[in-house]
Amino acid sequence: MPTVFEAPEINWAAIAPMLVVMAGGLIGIVVEAFVPRRRRHSVQVALSVVALVLAFVALVTLTVDNRVKTLGGSVVMDGMSVFLQGSLIVFGLLGVLTMAEKFGGDRPDAFTPMGAAIPGSAYEAAADRAGLATSEVFPLALFSLSGMMMFVAAGDLITMFVALEVLSLPLYVLVGLARRRRLLSQEASLKYFLLGAFASAFFLFGSALLYGYAATTDLDGIAAAITETRPGLEPLLVPAILLVLVGLLFKVGAVPFHSWTPDAYQGAPTPVTGFMAAATKLAAFGAILRFVYVGVEGTRWSWEVGLAVIAALTMVVGAVLSVTQTDIKRLLAYSSIAHAGFILVGVLAFSTLGLRGVMFYLLAYGLMTIAAFAIVSMVRQGGTEATQLSQWAGLGQRHPILAATFGFLLLAFAGIPLTSGFTAKFAAFAPAIESGTLGVVLVVIGVLASAVTAFVYVRIIVLMYFSDATSEDVVAAEASPLTTAAVAVGAVATVVLGIVPGPVLELAAQASELIR
Amino acid sequence: MIAQVVSSGVTSLALDGARENPLADFSDTPLWLTAIKAVGIFAYLLIQVLLVIWFERRVIGRMQQRPGPNRNGPFGLLQSLADGVKSMLKEDVRPKASDAIVFTVAPILFASMAFVAFSIIPLGPDVSMFGYRTPLQLTDLPVAVLLVLAAAGVAAYGVIMAGWASGSTYPMLGGLRSSAQIISYEIAMGLSLVAVFLYAGSMSTSQIVAAQAEQGWFIIAAAFSFVVYVITMVGETNRLPFDLAEGEGEIVGGYFTEYSGMRFAMFFLAEYINMFTVSAIATTLFLGGWQAPPGIAAINDGMFNEGWWGLLWFTLKMWLFMFLFVWLRGTLPRTRYDQFMKFGWKFLIPASLVWIVLVALVRGADAGFFGDSTFGILGRDFPVPVLFILGAALLLMIIGFTLWDRAAERRRAERREESVIDVDPFAGGYPVPPLPGQRLVEPGSARVGRTQTDIHTDASGSGAATAVVVSDKED
Amino acid sequence: MTNPYTPMLILVALGAGFVIFSVGLAQIVGPKRYNRAKAEAYECGIQPSPQAAEGGRFPIKYYLTAMLFIIFDIEAVFLYPYAVAFDQLGLFTLLAMFLFLLNAFFIADAYVWKRGGFEWD
Repeated sequence: MPTVFEAPEINWAAIAPMLVVMAGGLIGIVVEAFVPRRRRHSVQVALSVVALVLAFVALVTLTVDNRVKTLGGSVVMDGMSVFLQGSLIVFGLLGVLTMAEKFGGDRPDAFTPMGAAIPGSAYEAAADRAGLATSEVFPLALFSLSGMMMFVAAGDLITMFVALEVLSLPLYVLVGLARRRRLLSQEASLKYFLLGAFASAFFLFGSALLYGYAATTDLDGIAAAITETRPGLEPLLVPAILLVLVGLLFKVGAVPFHSWTPDAYQGAPTPVTGFMAAATKLAAFGAILRFVYVGVEGTRWSWEVGLAVIAALTMVVGAVLSVTQTDIKRLLAYSSIAHAGFILVGVLAFSTLGLRGVMFYLLAYGLMTIAAFAIVSMVRQGGTEATQLSQWAGLGQRHPILAATFGFLLLAFAGIPLTSGFTAKFAAFAPAIESGTLGVVLVVIGVLASAVTAFVYVRIIVLMYFSDATSEDVVAAEASPLTTAAVAVGAVATVVLGIVPGPVLELAAQASELIR
Repeated sequence: MIAQVVSSGVTSLALDGARENPLADFSDTPLWLTAIKAVGIFAYLLIQVLLVIWFERRVIGRMQQRPGPNRNGPFGLLQSLADGVKSMLKEDVRPKASDAIVFTVAPILFASMAFVAFSIIPLGPDVSMFGYRTPLQLTDLPVAVLLVLAAAGVAAYGVIMAGWASGSTYPMLGGLRSSAQIISYEIAMGLSLVAVFLYAGSMSTSQIVAAQAEQGWFIIAAAFSFVVYVITMVGETNRLPFDLAEGEGEIVGGYFTEYSGMRFAMFFLAEYINMFTVSAIATTLFLGGWQAPPGIAAINDGMFNEGWWGLLWFTLKMWLFMFLFVWLRGTLPRTRYDQFMKFGWKFLIPASLVWIVLVALVRGADAGFFGDSTFGILGRDFPVPVLFILGAALLLMIIGFTLWDRAAERRRAERREESVIDVDPFAGGYPVPPLPGQRLVEPGSARVGRTQTDIHTDASGSGAATAVVVSDKED
Repeated sequence: MTNPYTPMLILVALGAGFVIFSVGLAQIVGPKRYNRAKAEAYECGIQPSPQAAEGGRFPIKYYLTAMLFIIFDIEAVFLYPYAVAFDQLGLFTLLAMFLFLLNAFFIADAYVWKRGGFEWD
């Protein structure tokens, strides 16, 4: 019997973190099926935390020493993959901690008891009375995270697409599971799903054209094909690259493709919003970096102006629209759009330093975002989250520590010195200035946009400290140690990365190598 | 990497991929001969449908100790033909609320697609026709069996279209039920075929038949798959005991309630052709196709395995299944819808999967994946790992049965404990069936007093019963 | 050699021709006697309940069945090419397929089963 099929080389040590996270998700499904309902929540939280910690341990013990291309080149575990996967695991851990928050109840507070029920129906009420809980959120988060980890390490377009779907599909479900304001949540989920499917289609069209051009989906192969001339096929190349970039830029929420961001951020359960804002952005930028730096850098002159325009638009629109927002979650959504633009400026530097800056920015931004959304989930009025800005008036007088932490995080978003936001912006913008005129123009726009966003953030701080409360019953809920820990980690990291960024920048510098 | 796999896969196909491709050789068959064969198959099917309707009514009649139709023609043979003419001369009513186009397209689609599957069934070996050497098969593809499943999927469209377009309650319910039934059993059917593909290494029907000439009929090697297939084929064709979609007592006629005249006759025709199709697939995949039964095959150096004889064996085997259909109809009552779905999803699918794993292991041992040592039984060599696989499977089965037995025993015990309440069925003056948790006591029994029963009946009212059900639901 | 799908088309065309001919002929040959009651929806003799072809709502259970079908059927279809190419694929792929079955079928099945996805009433 001839054995023609050659099994690909697999470096198990290199992909161990991904496998651990996926296995955690699968075991989570089994737990969901067989563990009694009362104990499910605690078992799921414990399982997720253990899986993530194990994955992190595997990453720092096994994977760092096995920086290889494996699985036949479809997974590339280089410095960037390791750094970004490590960041993703940390985000996942913080995200799981915030999702587990119960605020003194017996079930996770942010999630509906029965996602399939019609909002406000008797069925939903019965599910609530029966004490049901959607503890599937933890396996879903793990699956999504495993997709993200694969996304940043994908070495060919097909693996990238599979990873894109694996990370997206659980998120669509998670977005639709908010306990309160169900209709808004379902609408957000549907919008996110439809637009996401649309963007996936763009990505696939682009991949198909690239395959037509290069006769391979391998990023290295595409890079090699670009250096040769391919008579008759040249017209395929630039549309292909732009289509793939559209698919990827959708995930980061860059401007012409950002319209889902405010709705999805607002409708999603707040812990999910935090997780999504931090981790999805990081994963998508990881994929953009790899696609742009490894795959198609050779033809960069033909599309970098387009990307620069998108970056500029993203910064301006994100910053300007955040001024008009009255809902704190929407405001943070527009701020995240603006940040996507800032990060794109770093991407456009096309240098190792730029890579370092972008990775550092992603880590710093993710940590502050998760903490910020965790605080948003704690501020409540009458049992629901108080997301209207007017409700936040005077919060600083009643909850000084909470308001101070939030204010500090806002300053970090604005990029005030001594916060991680400043070092991150500096690390991303400095290489861009060195890269040429285009970079300088973008940085000028970025600084101006930062000034606009700073105005928005300072306005919230003023609101919290210097105006009188409109109603007295807006309170910061007594959070469990889990959320407190997540907020503390985020805030402390923001301080540390702002004052002594050296070690982490050094780590990012070491990690900024791409295996081609 | 994927490109590599694809390209190496393609070369492997080119190297030794003869098995995936059809064996039947149509190179000597001109198009006009193909057309003649198509007409032949068409006539073969129609005549058999007329015959089988008569056959079914006669056999059911015998089973119920009555003669069945015996007026038209010898033994009533022309009865079906007379019925066909009659439906032609009847008014073809279309309800006011129905959708004009879809209502007509549904039976046409349903009936036309019923013919597709027969084009890939090998009815016999190569024969000579008008001086050409041609297989007794219309065409063959590397994915022939998959195509049959696809055609069966189109049947679901016909059903749902008919149900929807009638603009009436019963057809709507019937259409939904029937399509849910078809798709549910299609999974189990698809899974039962995997074992055959594993053995044959091909999805082409002519290759599968040839593989059975070498390896013996797959009814032995894939016995469990055969059982699953036979069950699902009854479910797929909406026949008793699974004719829930047409249950007269429940939803009148199901999706064709509003149909009459020729449009109804087309559904009728298609359902019978579908029965032939699934039987023909069963014959081809599990019973050696057109090959002669083992004893007869040995006579005179395989004389009966040649030429037109194949058609005879094939038809006989197919009619065995037709008899099975009739026999089932004459014997079994209709299942309940939830029982039917439960059986499909909770037994057939998981069990088929376990069986696939087992077959794959045995095949792997055969192909030498686990080492090359062999042992001989009955003059044939088997790889040693087969022993381990069978042993492990046996062990698993024993453990499974033990656990199942204990669980069943526990359930029985619970039920015994529950059913402590005795009720007098005639307490209210009328016979009343027992509620869950009640046990009937014959009215003659003197021990049950009136007042006592009333109290019991109240205590076990619907509230208590539903509470039990709800608490059972999840954990 | 002709395209292997051509004979299939011939057979389908024959079948479709027969069906359309029969249905069409019945329209011509069959009687037409209008009666208002005949054109009503059939509901065992009672007044037809006013419900609609278009806009009638399906029970959600059927959507669940349809989704389960899509998921499991696609997984089943993955098994076909694997089964056909079994000999060439070797031990590695055998184990990979078992892993696929474990993840995609057994775990998914157990989950749907235990959470009541297979309960019909």
